[in-house]
Amino acid sequence: MTKELDLLDIQGHVLRAYGRFGYPKARYIFLTIRHGERAREFIAAVTSKVTTAVSWGNGPDDLPPPAWTVNIAFTYQGLKELGLPRASLIGFSPEFVEGMKHRKDILGDDGPSAPENWDPIWRENRETREKDVHIFIALNAAAPPPTETGLVGIQKSLVQCDAFLEQAHAWLRDEVTKSHGGIVILGGHRGDDGVLLDYQDVKVVMENGLPTAKEHFGYTDGIGDPVFDGVPYDEARVRGRGKQMADGSWAPLATGEFLLGHIDEAHEYPPAPRPILLARNGTYMVYRKLHENVASFDNYLKLEGKKYPGGEELLAAKFVGRWRDNGAPLVRAPDLASKQQFDQQFAVATPEEQDRMLSDFTYDDDMSGAKCPFSAHLRRINPRASLQMGREPGDLPGSLKTIKGAFDTPGALSNRRRILRRGLPYGDVKDRTKDNGNHGIIIMMLNADINRQFEFVQQQWINYGNDFKAGNDKEIMLGNHSADPRFASKAVLQVDPASEDVPYILSKIPRFVETRGGEYFFMPSLTALRMIARGVVDPT
Amino acid sequence: MANVSGNAYGLSILSPIKNGRVLGAEIAFADLVRNRLQAWNNEINSPMALVPQTYLCRLYVLDDVVTESLPSGSLPDTWSDLLPVVPDSLRRDVMPVQDKLQSRYLVFCCNFYAGPSGTPDAYLRGMWEAINGRIHEIWDNCYGFDQVHNADNFITYMKKCQLTTSLFFNGSTDQPLEEQLKALYMKQEFTQFAIDNQGLSAATIRANYREFMQKTQINDLQHRTWQPGKYRL
Repeated sequence: MTKELDLLDIQGHVLRAYGRFGYPKARYIFLTIRHGERAREFIAAVTSKVTTAVSWGNGPDDLPPPAWTVNIAFTYQGLKELGLPRASLIGFSPEFVEGMKHRKDILGDDGPSAPENWDPIWRENRETREKDVHIFIALNAAAPPPTETGLVGIQKSLVQCDAFLEQAHAWLRDEVTKSHGGIVILGGHRGDDGVLLDYQDVKVVMENGLPTAKEHFGYTDGIGDPVFDGVPYDEARVRGRGKQMADGSWAPLATGEFLLGHIDEAHEYPPAPRPILLARNGTYMVYRKLHENVASFDNYLKLEGKKYPGGEELLAAKFVGRWRDNGAPLVRAPDLASKQQFDQQFAVATPEEQDRMLSDFTYDDDMSGAKCPFSAHLRRINPRASLQMGREPGDLPGSLKTIKGAFDTPGALSNRRRILRRGLPYGDVKDRTKDNGNHGIIIMMLNADINRQFEFVQQQWINYGNDFKAGNDKEIMLGNHSADPRFASKAVLQVDPASEDVPYILSKIPRFVETRGGEYFFMPSLTALRMIARGVVDPT
Repeated sequence: MANVSGNAYGLSILSPIKNGRVLGAEIAFADLVRNRLQAWNNEINSPMALVPQTYLCRLYVLDDVVTESLPSGSLPDTWSDLLPVVPDSLRRDVMPVQDKLQSRYLVFCCNFYAGPSGTPDAYLRGMWEAINGRIHEIWDNCYGFDQVHNADNFITYMKKCQLTTSLFFNGSTDQPLEEQLKALYMKQEFTQFAIDNQGLSAATIRANYREFMQKTQINDLQHRTWQPGKYRL
């Protein structure tokens, strides 16, 4: 690993998925600016509490993890209201300036995912200015290690977590009050039973009183996350998360893929606004509220699971590329027998070994998709080295192999399309037979270039299939499948070309996930926050 | 072999557009051509969709070549930097002169099925017979087109304007257009057949397949097929 990043200058939210570190609940609050100068004072106050990416632990430079974390980001409109000079503003990317709502055609936010169906806060954003979303503040609350054993201990810890969350929220409301109307919290987040809240509530999915890492379709989530240069507490997790090298090793991705002001995979600094101190150690964040149609999912899985050889649970694994219960990758456990073996090993493995079993794999031995289908969620959002595929005359029909020598490294086609994922599920499923409850996930995607990373994956790999030799077949879980029978979605589940098995075709796939809102944000470094608060951003 | 890739032919035509302006109007010939071509976007389909055997084509007005601006580090530059004895005037002399075209050009690039003949004649004849009115609207603005009255002198004219083609559109086989369109249709229909018949008994599939072949008429290239130029369901 090269030089360690200035962890105290980077916001913690960028380098850590707090959910993994014992923060099972959070609130995301969105604010609008009514008075620039008082807003900057507010920013100064918040900045003094912002959680950085400093190492947590007992070492000499470490800090203990806080009871609640604070992180902050801005929209383009927000940066304008804060008085950033025009010459700095024009250096932000065009998609950030335009905002996510107006890019719906690129992102496939159509039909039920169209902005007219979004939560009021997102529907009204970027319409009349008074309701523009300017500031995002995330408050994550810790569930302290239980002091008693068993369920009782965990429940007490969660009660403490709720208390921390209320403390955090009270602090924020207090700071807003001190701004004397300079800052206003925006309402309009749909909660349970159509109630509108002035915050987005998120929390881990609970099962039998215990927190899980699952989302509402039943899948274990948040396993893979890119590992990049300069983050000391990520080094050991590079296999399967960094970039695949020709000799079988894995290397961390270039920092500049995820943080502005650092060299990226193209050996260049990513385009960034000026001055350097405004951009360096900051990044772009895509916030999306994704509703999950649990009834449609359950019904479809049941319907197809009856017909699918291998049964319902294997089929569910084929949708995503991982088994639902423990996230075992299909590439390592492609059928029921190998899954049982995997489970036995997994049960006795240490946490580090478990982590490697889940992440350390390639598609090198699955180039024809027999284990993990080409339209499975995992393969589409991170194809690893599998896009360098082709066939030669004489190869078995349906078989593909790695074409060597065409690209610099095995991961060349996907290394620049990686995304950091943050966020948590929201809501509870009270009735699995209905789609219209309050349940889904909030996903925040961090990258140095919204268009090259997030928007590309969304448009080319999720809502289209050409790069996977799948025509215009969409990704099974996230694709914007159409209800119009003329454009019914299908996906092929490949089989071993040398076998007698028949590929299975999923047809009339319903739209499982619907967009309910979101926006593009800039998450600055601590230095930039202080400069924005002080009003000294100067690009000349 | 130049211009040919199997049965496919790559045609590149550069026709010099008349300099000056259209009689009685305040528009240059080249700008009129461009305006007319851009208006094709508003038609239901391109006029070229009526030309038999067309795979893919492109028409545009070429205003001028693009200048590369200052070169970086040519040999005389480097020597001039290193050795004072190399005169600056030598370095200036070998800098490229800015190139310019003498006319603006109508560029017509086309990939089509030419068959074993390996010549563009049949295609160009077909093009004239299908859309000579539209051809006149565009090409009348080019030098020498006043000599063109029929398919034969159209072919002669086009060959005079022809440049060697070595790059082909790679999204197509080199089969006749009717076969490719039928293949697309069959692929669509067969995908649906596969979906509908998944998991059924062999006997049922056999019976359904017979019906499928009846319905799709695989050997009939004129009916039950995609129309040329069709670009959406």
